[in-house]
Amino acid sequence: MNKETPKEYLRFNTIERIQHVILFTTFLLLSFTGWALKYPEQTVEHSSWLVKIWGGAKNAGIVHRIAGITMLLNFAWHVLYLAYMLSTGKMKLRKDTTIIPLPKDVMDAVKNILYFLGLGKEKPQFGRFSYIHKFDYWAVFWGMGIIGLSGFFLAFPVQSSYFFPSWSVNWIWEVISIMHSDEALLAIVFILFWHFYNEHLKWNKFPMSMTWITGKISIEDMKREHPLEYKLEFGDKGDNK
Amino acid sequence: MKRVFLVALLWIPLLCFTYSASAETFTCLACHSAMKGKIRTEEGVLIDVNVDGEKYSQSVHGGFDCIACHKQFGSNPHEPARITNVPQGIASLASKLTHKAKVDPVALAACSECHGDIYKSWQQSIHGSNVIQKKQSDGASCVDCHGSPHYITPKNTATSHINKKNIVKTCGECHENEGLARKYGFSTHILERYYESFHGKKYVIGHPNAPTCVDCHKYHDIKKWEDPMSPVAWDNRTETCGRCHKGATKKFVTAITHKPYGKDNPVPYYFEKGMIVLLLSVFAFIVGHVILDAISEIRDKVLRKGKEGHHE
Repeated sequence: MNKETPKEYLRFNTIERIQHVILFTTFLLLSFTGWALKYPEQTVEHSSWLVKIWGGAKNAGIVHRIAGITMLLNFAWHVLYLAYMLSTGKMKLRKDTTIIPLPKDVMDAVKNILYFLGLGKEKPQFGRFSYIHKFDYWAVFWGMGIIGLSGFFLAFPVQSSYFFPSWSVNWIWEVISIMHSDEALLAIVFILFWHFYNEHLKWNKFPMSMTWITGKISIEDMKREHPLEYKLEFGDKGDNK
Repeated sequence: MKRVFLVALLWIPLLCFTYSASAETFTCLACHSAMKGKIRTEEGVLIDVNVDGEKYSQSVHGGFDCIACHKQFGSNPHEPARITNVPQGIASLASKLTHKAKVDPVALAACSECHGDIYKSWQQSIHGSNVIQKKQSDGASCVDCHGSPHYITPKNTATSHINKKNIVKTCGECHENEGLARKYGFSTHILERYYESFHGKKYVIGHPNAPTCVDCHKYHDIKKWEDPMSPVAWDNRTETCGRCHKGATKKFVTAITHKPYGKDNPVPYYFEKGMIVLLLSVFAFIVGHVILDAISEIRDKVLRKGKEGHHE
């Protein structure tokens, strides 16, 4: 119990940080190359720079495809990495450190919103991942599935059409287009509000949390933001320090 | 002598033009480039008699004498039209176009003198047969798509009505027209649906490979899509789509229908509605959460300064 509490705690290892960098780089590339196609009328009238910066629509399309495939490969790497970490026991499923949503997260969300409204006295106690983080994380998973799959169909329409049942071919392409572009809009707005506010704009984070580069979080922040994980790692020493 | 001098004076502004038209053209343009507005003919048709000399000179036909096409007019001021000046073939074609070109059907028929093959395939097209056989004055002829022959510029110039940048709009002149759509039973949704499709979106943002109307439907010899000769008839679609989408099958080519969302197309219609509900509810949640969070943070920092002190 006398083990010295370190000043910082390693929250994300190198592999996880690399995966995050690839994810947001490809995300930004996809957003900026795809936006022109989402709102083409406005693109031509107001902001053709969105097309020009890529050297034309054709190049933008090529960049979009390369970034999309890179993102999907990165996603596959992440899933395989998690499978490896869990199967070798290097990562353990524990209720205070898991990213998997639990009933407690719903309670936390309610408690937190009540606190925002001034109806609750205390903020909820979070583990390694709060419900805010979990939402952020699974939104990416959802997006990968929906946008990645529909994007794959749109990139290889002839080949994809072989797999579609014949009763669906009259409307499936419209559904896929809507899926791809509306989900992409959802993803962009989500990142702009949820992720940017929670990881960049908050008082103690502005202009950004450095965790994405260093992988580390200060013990002070950990105690405040992830008290349950802190207790799990370092016991209850926090208060008598 | 004085009269000659005045006539010479009239020529001075014309000499400023840089075009290479013949003397006869100058004679016509002396009046017609100055005449503004419309006049009513004896038949009671309102016609525009103005010809912009400068624009004419820059057009592909700028080097022609006026009477190369306006074959029945030869003097100034005009004598009554003399059909005898007109070659047999053009005269007979013109006689089928009197309802379409009310003032000078000969001029409209005269296109065929140089563009004979195109004219023939147009006559067999849905646009041409509508004019020639069904005698409709609102059917599309040369000038409806290419604009006035006086101002036709090469296909690759921005002013050309059939330039890739303008062609969809040119088709839309009629195909977005409610009245014509009702009369001929086509849908005005076609262009809208094209613009919403990936083909149309790519076209709008300037993708060089994006197909326009004419890439799939053809142009001079355009047919109704149900006509087995049409490139977009069911049996020809695999070939037509296959020009860009190698390996296109029967299953693939149903992708483009230009059908409006709604009754005929319920799945995407309700899917889109569902997506809007999903998007708006997620937006409402995240934006609401962020705003409440921010307000409570400000409240904690400003109003409850002392209470949370032990961590700061």
